[in-house]
Amino acid sequence: MGEKTDIWQGTLALMALRTLETMGPQHGYGLARRIEQTSGDQLQLNYGTLYPALLKLEQEGFIRSRWGVSENNRRAKFYELTKAGHRQVIKAAAEWEQTTAILALFLAPAEEA
Amino acid sequence: MRKLRAFWIRLLGMIGTRRQDVEFAAELEAHVALHTDDGIRAGLSPPEARRQALICLGGIEQTRQSYRERRMLPWLETLARDFAYSLRRLLKYPAVTVIAILSIGLGIGANATIFSMVSRFVLRPAPVGAPATLLTLQTMHEGDPCCNEFPLPMYKDVRDQTASFTNVAAYDELIPASIGGSGEPERVWGQAVTPNFFEALELPMVAGRGFATGEDNAEEIVLGAALWQRRFNSDPAIAGKTVILSGRTFTVVGVAPATFHSVDQILNTEFWVPLGNAPQLAPNVANFNSREMHWLAVVARLKPGVTQAQAAAELKTVAAHLAKTYPDTDKGVGFVIQQAGLLSPKQSGIMHLFLAALGIVVLLVLFIAGANVTNLLFAQAAGRQRDMAVRLALGATRGRLQRQMLIESVLLGLGGGALGILLSLWSTRALSALHLPAPVPLNLTISVDWRVLLYSFVLSVLCGLLFGLAPAWAASRPLLANALKGEDALARPGRRFSLRNVLVVAQVAMSVVLLCITALFLRSLESASGIDIGFRSDHLLAMSVDPRLHSYTPERTASFLTQLRERAAALPGVTSAAITDTLPLSLGGRSDGFSIVGAPDGGEGVSTDLYMASPGLLETMGIPQIAGSDFNKETAAEPKIAVVNQAFVDRVLHGRNPIGVLVSGGGVNYRIIGIAGNIKSRSLGEETRAVLYRSMVQNVGSDPALLGYTVVVHTAGNQAGVKEELRRQIHGLDPSMAIFNEQTMEEHVRNAYFLPRLAATLFGTFGFIGLVLAAVGLYGVMSCSVSRRTREIGIRMAMGARPGTVERLVLRQGLVLTLIAIALGWPAAWMLAKVAASFLYGIQPHDVFTFAIVPPFLIAIALFACWIPARRAACIDPMQALRTE
Repeated sequence: MGEKTDIWQGTLALMALRTLETMGPQHGYGLARRIEQTSGDQLQLNYGTLYPALLKLEQEGFIRSRWGVSENNRRAKFYELTKAGHRQVIKAAAEWEQTTAILALFLAPAEEA
Repeated sequence: MRKLRAFWIRLLGMIGTRRQDVEFAAELEAHVALHTDDGIRAGLSPPEARRQALICLGGIEQTRQSYRERRMLPWLETLARDFAYSLRRLLKYPAVTVIAILSIGLGIGANATIFSMVSRFVLRPAPVGAPATLLTLQTMHEGDPCCNEFPLPMYKDVRDQTASFTNVAAYDELIPASIGGSGEPERVWGQAVTPNFFEALELPMVAGRGFATGEDNAEEIVLGAALWQRRFNSDPAIAGKTVILSGRTFTVVGVAPATFHSVDQILNTEFWVPLGNAPQLAPNVANFNSREMHWLAVVARLKPGVTQAQAAAELKTVAAHLAKTYPDTDKGVGFVIQQAGLLSPKQSGIMHLFLAALGIVVLLVLFIAGANVTNLLFAQAAGRQRDMAVRLALGATRGRLQRQMLIESVLLGLGGGALGILLSLWSTRALSALHLPAPVPLNLTISVDWRVLLYSFVLSVLCGLLFGLAPAWAASRPLLANALKGEDALARPGRRFSLRNVLVVAQVAMSVVLLCITALFLRSLESASGIDIGFRSDHLLAMSVDPRLHSYTPERTASFLTQLRERAAALPGVTSAAITDTLPLSLGGRSDGFSIVGAPDGGEGVSTDLYMASPGLLETMGIPQIAGSDFNKETAAEPKIAVVNQAFVDRVLHGRNPIGVLVSGGGVNYRIIGIAGNIKSRSLGEETRAVLYRSMVQNVGSDPALLGYTVVVHTAGNQAGVKEELRRQIHGLDPSMAIFNEQTMEEHVRNAYFLPRLAATLFGTFGFIGLVLAAVGLYGVMSCSVSRRTREIGIRMAMGARPGTVERLVLRQGLVLTLIAIALGWPAAWMLAKVAASFLYGIQPHDVFTFAIVPPFLIAIALFACWIPARRAACIDPMQALRTE
């Protein structure tokens, strides 16, 4: 088992938003597992850090939550995107792409001038 | 935006904590259960699956903690906790808390009161729409110290030749009139304005409208809200109805808002009529064609985008143009621009000086109070050093301890501020109840407005921080080892002068300054009350009427007044009665420059106050008649005669026998028939002025009184009964006659003491507060020092020191502090006294008595304050003292 990557600051929120966008309403545990799966198990989440991040998103109005019942009949809190959340995914994704693109320019093998 | 939203939610997250904790616990529990289910499905045993789930979560408690921190604002939470703790501590020591709040409260109350004057007279914008762009214009002749009103033609020139303003309006500031409506007719004051006046002011009218263009001569009236309420029961349909104003019918077009009395915020006027009515209402004021008679105040509304500087520049070119066009009258005349609603430069100088003096005094009071609070907090800090040391030893940071102590002192400051506001609510009302003895209506009420509240709040917080800073600093740095052993941990070794001693010296020094100023004003009041006003103030009753406001002809006025005098004199209980225009001590009335006819002196003559007099005025007022005769049966057709006072004889006639001499003033000749004693004519503090009494019947027609006529009666006994009888006589002659300024001469003279009394009251109150606070401070420091030196004193006494010696030891310490303070404060007071000079009556600012009496007085107070702890020190039982601890 190779070394699993730690999550960078601030990217967890975007991952959570994006995951909720593709999957629809989801509870905290399911969301955490899905993030790990999406990363091809390269990421290992400290699940405890997910909840404050979700709370922050909720406070900022990007997601909302309500109690529901999970597929195996357990009561759990489900999170879903708000309209503002959908907009935020697009905005944050664009920003992130720009950042990585710029960084890629720096990390590309130096060309002979 | 999002951040703000999150902030609010987190702020709200502070409440309902328990329910949310429970909810998150349920969510975590669900998380663990779901994870455990997955583990079991993957073949783990249930306990192992749960263990794995908890490991992945990273600990339930840690997760809860980080969740809690995100849900609320952690710094706010600790702050709230510090507040709660501080509040508990303050409540636990109610004596200290109450004394500190009382001290700061007195200080803040004094400051809030004075600041409410500053707010009222310096800061408050005019009560008009968009006050920032409304300007007042005044003329200023080259070489004059200040400014003047406008002549009408010059106003029109400025209005027509400038482009900086949307509106330039002019008005005659004070016009008396008698008004009908419910109840007896009443004499009220108003203004005659150009029709664009209300447009320029952008006033939101309560009802109806202002005047419209072209209504220059319309018989229309705008009522003030107070007048509308008082005389027309706030009739909502008043617009369009008619009122009788000085015998003429006016149509009401609107009602001005209650906040508006006049643009200058000083005059209390209650109605407005178009300027064209001025000649009928105020005959010898209005002069429409003269370029020399300055009688109109002018306001101008800046055009949007035009600055005051641009407007001033434009006015300068207009002035230059006018000087060329009318060299005889307008040469050297410039214009002065000022924000509307501010005191005019004429009044602002003395007012600012007065407020500055008061401001210094109340700040001194506040600092003296604050020094007390600091001392108290120091004493408290000494008492809690152990508590502090323990908390430090347990790992609290000094910053946290300091913050908590500062919160405590800020709470004290805020408590004091709240008390101060209550005090100032009361004091501003008391001050507003005082009346200036002016014959025109002034609105000088002050109140606690939002500016005062804001100022007091900021001041309270600053006080809390400032006065708590040093104790908090000291308390958070105890010598740990000493403190835990139970010894004094704040007294640093090798320090002779503690900060507390410095404070108390500063405090006493400030109270020296305060006491000197207070004593000066008390001496001033004493010397003012010794002033000989030159006429009797007892058993005199006065009331005024203005027949001109009722469209009387001069002949009818004269006969009305003559009959009134005869009827009044015949009343039972009345010894004599007379008619004059304005009473003396009314801050000034008619005056002219006088000189001997035919004398080659030229110039403007001697400034002389003019009073109208019926026969018997001197006798009624108790003004001694020195030589010659009184007025008797002169008629309007005969050459004018006059009685002059001694000062007139000395200055105009240079002491020669005046009887029969012809003198001239204001273009009129008078033959002197008698000499009277000197009186205080305008105000108590004045240099004795030259006075000329002119015959009432001879002047009613040619030069009538502007402010009406006053009948003065000398009563043998009770004035109250005569008052009613006199009113009845006036209404017997004319039932519609408005009566005003009803008062006894005692009331009138008491009003004349307004300024010295106001100053003495204010400074006396503040001086007393300061003195008490400083004495308490000295007492506090000395008694603290005694209790700290209990052991030392015990040893001294065990070694054979007598109680008397110990007592002297403590007294000497207090005395040294006091002497240092006097040495610092006395010169400061000496320098500051000059500021007070212009408010003093009959004494010098460096009054020897004052400056000689204050130091010994203060030493006596200080010795008394130190005597109580000294007694306690002398009573220390050596055995007990040595056994303490």
